[in-house]
Amino acid sequence: MAIIKMETKSSDLTIITKPKKDTIFNTFKRDYQLWLLILPAIICVGIFNYIPMYGIQLAFREYDFTAGLTGGEWVGLKYFIQFVNSHLFYDLMRNTLMISITTIVVGFPAPIILALVINQIRVQRAKRVLQTTVYLPHFISIVVLVGMMNVILTPSGIGGNVMSAIGLGDINLLASVKTFIPVYVLSDVWQHVGWNSIIYLAALSAVDPQLYDSAKVDGASRWQIIRNVEIPAITPTIVILLILNMGTIISTGFEKIFLMQNSLNLPISEVIETYVYKIGIVSNQFSYAAAIGLFNTLINFSLLVAMNYLAKRTSRISLW
Amino acid sequence: MKKFSAMFLVFGIFIFTLVACSGNSNEEASEETEDGVVQLTAIMLKHPLTESLENMEWLAEAEEKAGVDIQWEEVSADWDERKNAMLAGGDIPDLIVGPNAITDGDFAQFTGLFQDLNELMEHAPNVQTMFDEKAELEIIATQESGEVYGLPKYQRYWPESATMQFINTDWLDNVGMDMPTTWDELHEVLLAFKEEDANGNGDTDDEIPFDWAPVGTGGFGFFHPTVLLGSTGITPSESGTGYFAEDGELKNFFMDERYKEVVVFLNKLYEDGLINQEVFTQEYTNYQSTARGDGDTAKVGYTYGWEGTDRFGKALAPQYTTMEPLKMSDDSTDDLRWAYDNNVLNYGTNMIQMSAQTEEKEAAMRFINELYDPETSMQVLFGSIGESIEDHGDGTFSVLPPADDSMDPGTWKWTKSWADNGPMYISDSLELELGTDMQAGNLQQEAYQDAYSRTDLELDVYPGIFLKYSQEDNNTMSLRNTELMNLAMAKFAQWVTEGNIEDEWDGYLDQLNTMGMPDNLELMQPYYDEYLSEIE
Amino acid sequence: MSIFSLKRKSLSDVFFDIFIYGTCIIMFLAVAYPLWFVIIASVSDSGMVASGQVLLFPKEFSLFGYKEIFSDSRIWNGYKNTVVYATLGTTVNLLLTIPAAYVLSRYEFKARRLLMFFFIFTMFFNGGLIPTYLLMKDLSLINTMWVFIFNPWTVNVFNLIIARTFFEHTIPKEMYEAAAIDGCNHFRFFSQIVLPLSKAVLSVIALYYLVYHWNNFFTGLIYVRDSGIQPLQIILRDILISNQVFGEGAGTGGADGGYAQRYADQIKYGVIIVSTLPVLVIYPFMQKYFEKGVMIGSVKG
Repeated sequence: MAIIKMETKSSDLTIITKPKKDTIFNTFKRDYQLWLLILPAIICVGIFNYIPMYGIQLAFREYDFTAGLTGGEWVGLKYFIQFVNSHLFYDLMRNTLMISITTIVVGFPAPIILALVINQIRVQRAKRVLQTTVYLPHFISIVVLVGMMNVILTPSGIGGNVMSAIGLGDINLLASVKTFIPVYVLSDVWQHVGWNSIIYLAALSAVDPQLYDSAKVDGASRWQIIRNVEIPAITPTIVILLILNMGTIISTGFEKIFLMQNSLNLPISEVIETYVYKIGIVSNQFSYAAAIGLFNTLINFSLLVAMNYLAKRTSRISLW
Repeated sequence: MKKFSAMFLVFGIFIFTLVACSGNSNEEASEETEDGVVQLTAIMLKHPLTESLENMEWLAEAEEKAGVDIQWEEVSADWDERKNAMLAGGDIPDLIVGPNAITDGDFAQFTGLFQDLNELMEHAPNVQTMFDEKAELEIIATQESGEVYGLPKYQRYWPESATMQFINTDWLDNVGMDMPTTWDELHEVLLAFKEEDANGNGDTDDEIPFDWAPVGTGGFGFFHPTVLLGSTGITPSESGTGYFAEDGELKNFFMDERYKEVVVFLNKLYEDGLINQEVFTQEYTNYQSTARGDGDTAKVGYTYGWEGTDRFGKALAPQYTTMEPLKMSDDSTDDLRWAYDNNVLNYGTNMIQMSAQTEEKEAAMRFINELYDPETSMQVLFGSIGESIEDHGDGTFSVLPPADDSMDPGTWKWTKSWADNGPMYISDSLELELGTDMQAGNLQQEAYQDAYSRTDLELDVYPGIFLKYSQEDNNTMSLRNTELMNLAMAKFAQWVTEGNIEDEWDGYLDQLNTMGMPDNLELMQPYYDEYLSEIE
Repeated sequence: MSIFSLKRKSLSDVFFDIFIYGTCIIMFLAVAYPLWFVIIASVSDSGMVASGQVLLFPKEFSLFGYKEIFSDSRIWNGYKNTVVYATLGTTVNLLLTIPAAYVLSRYEFKARRLLMFFFIFTMFFNGGLIPTYLLMKDLSLINTMWVFIFNPWTVNVFNLIIARTFFEHTIPKEMYEAAAIDGCNHFRFFSQIVLPLSKAVLSVIALYYLVYHWNNFFTGLIYVRDSGIQPLQIILRDILISNQVFGEGAGTGGADGGYAQRYADQIKYGVIIVSTLPVLVIYPFMQKYFEKGVMIGSVKG
């Protein structure tokens, strides 16, 4: 308390004397309106997100119903060690990383390109039709999407016919270790590219028309306008989204992989999430599942912190 | 500014509701109405086809007889996701009904949440009668530590095996071949099915000689080619994860040379293009619809199913007949077996359980007792007397055909009753004439009776459902099984489609050993021994 | 010279246009065909769909799937519930998220890094299902409609970051300083200047929240047991599952199975259309805010 008091006092002084560095405390009075604006969000997140966090310690304890979540026996890193020593650990990590990295490499640029292309269309009606169409697949539920893939890509379906037409007829798109990742990633792009491009389109709409005008006056070609006007306009969004994406590098879409799994692609399709699901269902291994989850989170979070640092150093854009 | 006043208003209301609501949270205690009827709450895990419980006459009667009025919550999907939160939150209704809705693992984990029914057994004479008549039901119901948390079911009429093998006899006639009796003969027949126009529609390419149900990644189930293990002398029974019994010893076929023989055989068939190309990727609905062919034209030659009309539809079913177990070759053993599923089909664990917080435990137990009454049990399984069952008045009953012509007997049963999902005891002394579907199914089972007569039902059948493991052992086993199946099922698929089993077999065995399959067997054997001594 | 360069430019523009429109047509077909497939599959015989005979036009046309879906009386109630949760929920989401995002975009706000971290932390770390369930139980939100509106996703941090990034790069620092000199406080500046300038991002965030509420299935599944207040998605899933079982038959002894087989998948595809159409209608309204120049126009106007 004393410290805070001192701070406020000194901030009162700064007005008269030489400018001192602003801190959270001495600007509080000045920014009270800003605090009021953000307070509801802080309260909401505090209640609904932070209060349950005591549950994280389950990863270090045995689950004991009668003693409550925080009352079980402390077992430290037992479950982390169990996971790392698991026979499947290496395969799970490899599959998870391969799938999520491919998803980012292919799936991240796609909506950016789409947004730039859509923005180039001059015919308003065509633009609207295309935009509405590509955004539609986002609403198809995963169960149905996988069902459609089964019908379309099966050897006797359209996909299978195309494959045999190009001389790859003996590859079953749905049941091959080689095709699992491409099929997974491309269907993902197909489903979300339109939806994900919305945010870039919104950013593009904020470009000052005067910039376009002056670029035209300078005789810039359309390609040059894209490169020098539009891409810089959406760069902050791109960087922020990239940082966030990197922070999910060892997470994959559970449900879709689970539904696409079959015994033929299992060597490549078993990922951390599906494995946690299986051990969670067969026996109530709450602590083990919590430990694997936390392991996942820690890796993701450190990647996010690292990416954020990198972005800050190179482009001065950062999350915090 | 308006927007902000609005915002704070909303937030204020929110805080207010939270505060206001937390005051009156405990209003849902069970209570009695004026006429002494006890109010209870319950969850029923019903089959998706099952109609609303409000329409079930027999249920209303059972509640009335027990003097209770139950508020039902009906669940037919995603139970596992909901269950954990509900149990961990201690937020359960008075009764939970459904097949293994709460597992032994849950009882062990959530100690104190469920009522030990032993304490209330005096109010449930019907349950006692059941335990007296069938000792194995008491074994199923009793936890390792002696409590009874969940009560079992016994539905008596279900066949020995869920899986039968069917072959299309019209096709056999068309290609001029006899019913195969060995694997080699089956191979020849399937080749003929493929090469000739077996279904006679002018197209030689649309026949699928051999098809089986989609195989999951967690182990085998019904309608899978593991039944061919019967040809090698193994009796598959509840053997999704490969465990089986032989002369009182537990083994696992995933590490058995005889399983390798089956896989080698399947691989030969696959290489010759005799197995459905999509066998590893198709969905169950496709598996079903393919076999129902195209009008009068059959598509599949040899396959597995539950019952003829169920598998092939009314139009095509007459073309198919069940086939006896095959010998591996002419000179191989005569000790043929077949999958034995009688236990899982007729018995079920933890069909109904009571919350320890129930205020009116006696009333709840009275209701449970009512469900195990012989006549009520019959209605639990088949539907109300009058609508689904005819009472002949002399203590005999018969199951009526569906009142709705568009439905088959099976669907009708699932719609009108709790069917296989309910707690029940169909006593061996009950005189009930079954519906046509069940009769036909049991008739088709004839082909396997020889095999069963050779099977020692105690020493050669793995009685998975009767073994009650301690929680720790159960956890260890299931964790290992998850890892083991991950390897074994992937290898199965790979070996069938690509071959190469000869080269990889030894390395595979090593892996199974290090992953702990022998340890699991060692852990399970004492439980099995104990079971054998108990049923003596 | 000038004629030359003009000609060259238009030539390259022509190539550019060909490239752009070519890409668009390919993309359009790649997306549109599977969607068309869903539509024709929802009115065709399921067996023919499964065997790959339905490619361009419906076969054995029937509206059975839709009839079955809409004959379920719960569906209208589900629609009503979802509309209520989506509008109320989105309003609350926006009221919490947008002001917070604005505050976090102010460089002079000293707590911004700390608070940003406070929010981002929750994207990664959470207590898990069980503690959250216990919290909801303690707050008496279980089995009430409020659980759809106040839950751990009420402030979606992803949306918060998007909005903040947008404010940071479109509302220059100097703008507030200028307004402050005129005696404008933060409340006024935010509501009268920032919000009108941010229609594009507001509509995006609103759309994100709206679609989240529309598709939200998990909240109803875990926290709600009273079927009267379940949202549309839960009810559609129930319909879907009961019909799927018809198709499977095994063990249920579906003897003739004709009904089952033919229509199970029709319902599956019908459900997509029934559940998606209402959200589609909203999109064009949002879209107009993405048109170039909206923002600048509103400043001048």
